[in-house]
Amino acid sequence: MERKNIFTHFTESTIAGWFFFFLVWLWASWWMGDVFRIAYEYSFIAPDATLMHWLWQRSNGLLWIIGRVLLTLYHWPVVGGLLVAILLATGSWLLGNVLQLSQRWRWLQFLPACAWMTWTAHVGLNLFYMHEPGRILSIPFLFVVVLAGVALIKAFSRQRAGEYPVDVPPAQSARKKRLLMGVAYAVVLLASFAIPMLHLSHRHPYLRPLTRMQVQLLHNDYEGIYRTAHEHADMSYRQMAGYYVIALVRTGRLADHLFDIKLNFEPIRTYSYTGKPSESRNYHHTDCNYHAGLIRAAYHSAMEQMMWDGPSLFSLKHLTKISLLEGDWALARKYLHILQKAPFEDAFINKYSPMVGRPDLILADAEFAAIYRTLPPRHTLENVYEKPSFIGYYVAQKRFNNPETLLWSTIACLYSKRMPEFLQRCSSLAGSTPPRSILEGLITQVQRYPSLIEAFPQLQMEVDRYNQFLREASAYMGDRERGSEELFEKYKGYYPYYYFFGNLKTDHTNGSEVLEHNRAGVN
Amino acid sequence: MILYNPLHRLHMTTGSSTAHLRPRRVCVSAHPLLSLSLVLLGNILLSACSSKPAALPDTFAETTDSAQIYPDYRDVTIPPNIAPLNFMVVDSLADAFVADIGGMVCAAADDGKFDIDSTAWRTLLAEHRDKDVPVQLYAHREQGWVRHPAFALHVAAEDIDSYLYYRLIEPGYEIYQQLGIYQRNLTNFEVTTIYENHRDIDLGKTHCINCHTFQNYDTERMYLHVRENHSGTIFTHGTETKKIIIRHDSILASGAYGNWHPQLPLVAFSTNKTAQVFHYSYKEKIEVYDYSSDLLLYDPDHNEVRHILHTPDDYETFPCWSADGTRLFYCKARPPRKHTDKDYEFQIVMHFDSLLYDIYSMPFDTVNYTFGEPRLEVSLSPQHLSCSMPRVSPDGRYLLFSVAQYGQFHIYHKSANLWVKPLRPSPSGEDSSSYRGENNPAAAAPADEVSTALYPLTAANSPDAESFPGWSSNGRWIVFSSRRDDSSYTRSYIAYFDVQGKAHRAFLLPQRDPEYNQLLLKSYNVPQLTRSAVPFTQKQMNKAIRSTEAELATYKGLSK
Repeated sequence: MERKNIFTHFTESTIAGWFFFFLVWLWASWWMGDVFRIAYEYSFIAPDATLMHWLWQRSNGLLWIIGRVLLTLYHWPVVGGLLVAILLATGSWLLGNVLQLSQRWRWLQFLPACAWMTWTAHVGLNLFYMHEPGRILSIPFLFVVVLAGVALIKAFSRQRAGEYPVDVPPAQSARKKRLLMGVAYAVVLLASFAIPMLHLSHRHPYLRPLTRMQVQLLHNDYEGIYRTAHEHADMSYRQMAGYYVIALVRTGRLADHLFDIKLNFEPIRTYSYTGKPSESRNYHHTDCNYHAGLIRAAYHSAMEQMMWDGPSLFSLKHLTKISLLEGDWALARKYLHILQKAPFEDAFINKYSPMVGRPDLILADAEFAAIYRTLPPRHTLENVYEKPSFIGYYVAQKRFNNPETLLWSTIACLYSKRMPEFLQRCSSLAGSTPPRSILEGLITQVQRYPSLIEAFPQLQMEVDRYNQFLREASAYMGDRERGSEELFEKYKGYYPYYYFFGNLKTDHTNGSEVLEHNRAGVN
Repeated sequence: MILYNPLHRLHMTTGSSTAHLRPRRVCVSAHPLLSLSLVLLGNILLSACSSKPAALPDTFAETTDSAQIYPDYRDVTIPPNIAPLNFMVVDSLADAFVADIGGMVCAAADDGKFDIDSTAWRTLLAEHRDKDVPVQLYAHREQGWVRHPAFALHVAAEDIDSYLYYRLIEPGYEIYQQLGIYQRNLTNFEVTTIYENHRDIDLGKTHCINCHTFQNYDTERMYLHVRENHSGTIFTHGTETKKIIIRHDSILASGAYGNWHPQLPLVAFSTNKTAQVFHYSYKEKIEVYDYSSDLLLYDPDHNEVRHILHTPDDYETFPCWSADGTRLFYCKARPPRKHTDKDYEFQIVMHFDSLLYDIYSMPFDTVNYTFGEPRLEVSLSPQHLSCSMPRVSPDGRYLLFSVAQYGQFHIYHKSANLWVKPLRPSPSGEDSSSYRGENNPAAAAPADEVSTALYPLTAANSPDAESFPGWSSNGRWIVFSSRRDDSSYTRSYIAYFDVQGKAHRAFLLPQRDPEYNQLLLKSYNVPQLTRSAVPFTQKQMNKAIRSTEAELATYKGLSK
């Protein structure tokens, strides 16, 4: 009879523990897998004191180093997820034992893990962006270490006092009571995962699709980014739009599909390095500048990020690729040498090391060749353009070295609603069949410039749809934000919709050239 | 005789005695606990390295290929008191390396790094003062041992000053984080922190420190600037410190680039309105330029400042005293636009490459503290070249400066090289006044101007940027910043400057771990040599910067 009670006690807590373990694994590898995978890219760890010196010197440096070492397993999210599951399950089990929770209160042991998961959801992008990525796993690690220490001390003191833990069998429960206990466990476990998941979906809905797109970019999966953006077309965040544009550029869809997603940006909720609220508008700039051919601007932002956060895989990989594109072989070799010290980066090293000193290999690489074609053709200064550079540069440029950059510039003008500049760029397209978005942009100007119909006869076919749109839109001209919401499903992808109802919350500058002097930061 | 100890990865023999080397340390400036834990972690992860006994191979094949070593110390001239020139060999075909350094036999660790014993090294250099140390390198490849062509380390007769001061900072761009000023003992690998700013991000504490400058190769008097929080200029006199703010309506900004008078308690400063822009498509990445600058004279004992030159349409910068303190050298450019022109600042930046600086000098009355008429010393602007950062040698015979295609912040200019102008011949006549450099574009001076001809220090220069030069107190060594390693991260290089006015091949500041410079993501900035260590502690400097109220300097008008 006693044996049966022990077995019953063992089964209930163990089953809950194993359920918890597998659910955490699922949560950490599937639900949060991409988030933590990108956190790993924003981290860097190497068994070298010179490289880790800057982190060691920071407050809690050792703890962050440990956290980063653990985060390294997120090179493979399933393995990283397993680690998280082990940490949280072990921590919960230890907590139950240290507190000697009775069966009735045993569910309490899962609360710290639930709190940590909810914290990750609450922090969102700040898990790794503008904050130390080593925090993520150092917290559960510390949790386990402290509890293990307490458990050891308690076990040791009991042994010295001649006490031994007595496994007191629970009183024989009635069937109903045990059922209730099972339900309670199920509710607690369900809540443990539902709360962080719901909180993330509510507070940072962009986080998972955004990091998904970044993971897809790591694998040059532009079709994947395109799909992800379309699956979340009703989400409107400039960071997501940035990665979507990269996919459009790389798949040749920029002129036809830019306006398919909602471009009426909501601010994202993050905090800057100093703890002040920030929209993290620069989050995607390094990637976007790089893919827009503005590799110096990308180098600039990658360097600045490295100054704030220390070396990260994200920065070092960009700096390596840009150095290769620039023909700075010694510099590329330096960054590759540093990356070589990081574990699990062999694929990157093996791909790019042979390109050092080999322009032929660089031009044979599809990504590099595409970027190389679009490098700025003549001398110009970053400071004279509006930010972000990948829009400001293309809006201001007037001379182009190939049709690709002319198209980008035309679309940049459409996007920023700079219609005089847009029309200037369209002049070279007269007599041809422009892409859909450009035609739709032209139709918005026909009333002001009727001669456009002669230059672009295809506009005749657009007139009816445009007029119908205007009739529907007229009801919303007094409340464009409402129009933006209510007309989106019907008119998404249609430029006139964007022209009147898109990007309403963006602060427009006057489009003139700006000169930014930095008077304090000359290093 | 060869000893083997599995804990030690390197062994060496010197003659009949055997010296045992310490295990290699990874980083001279990192916390020892961090080094230890990371090395242990690395060794656990990457498996323990095996050691090899150090003995010259009996049989070997000769190869004509030079070994690829880093730092490249081949045929450099070194001071007899320099720390061991540890180096590493990169050869993917080889699995072991042995070097014969002047009869001292060393084996490299498995990663190809040679860690030379300091005691044996000092003995070796003492025995070879003013002589050559031959170096022979052997590599073990699949087919057996091969011997690379020999090279030499030329040991000079003259020592270098024992201490080097530098700032470590991320290269370029607008922001900065962890930066510090350090004192390196050149006779060993000891690094002492003079000051480090904040280690964590905190806008309330963010501050930049720069332009550490000593008086006459001594550490009795120095100053350094602090920007943003805790701003001011810290002046030290022995262990005494004070914080000064140089500010007045007529002064453009606070003091910037400065130079101590060699004898008097005076500092000549430039005051600059400086900006930074970024190139999208150009050979350089960054441009730092002035859009106004003047010269100031500051007296720290009386806390008084006055203008030396106050000219809105001339840019004067980088002042430097002559060795006897009777002349002040400086750079001057005339911008392409007048300061009253429309869009003046915009026009300056758009014509950044037309700012050409020449070097001038003015006599200085050391009694009345007055200046005489300016004299043009170096004019390369007609050749569309620009001079910057002049430094007069301690014997007063040479003016050392950097030359680039334009501008004055040459650390960002690949074209920047070091040049000298002989100011006067040697009193003993031991120099060859006919030496005017190799491949010298400016050496076509008439015969009667030989003594004033300019020439580049070809052997010390590189295709990348050389800047911020400085002398040792005996005038036989120059230290400077160079980007020759990777075109981005500045490193300190040292070159011998012989009595004939010729610089020899420069060598990289040696580190205990030769890989250190390849991994360091910071630049060495503004290297300065001194004979002695600073008398104050890091704690005192912390207090001076963070807890001292700044005093405002008294403005005394224009110097007559």
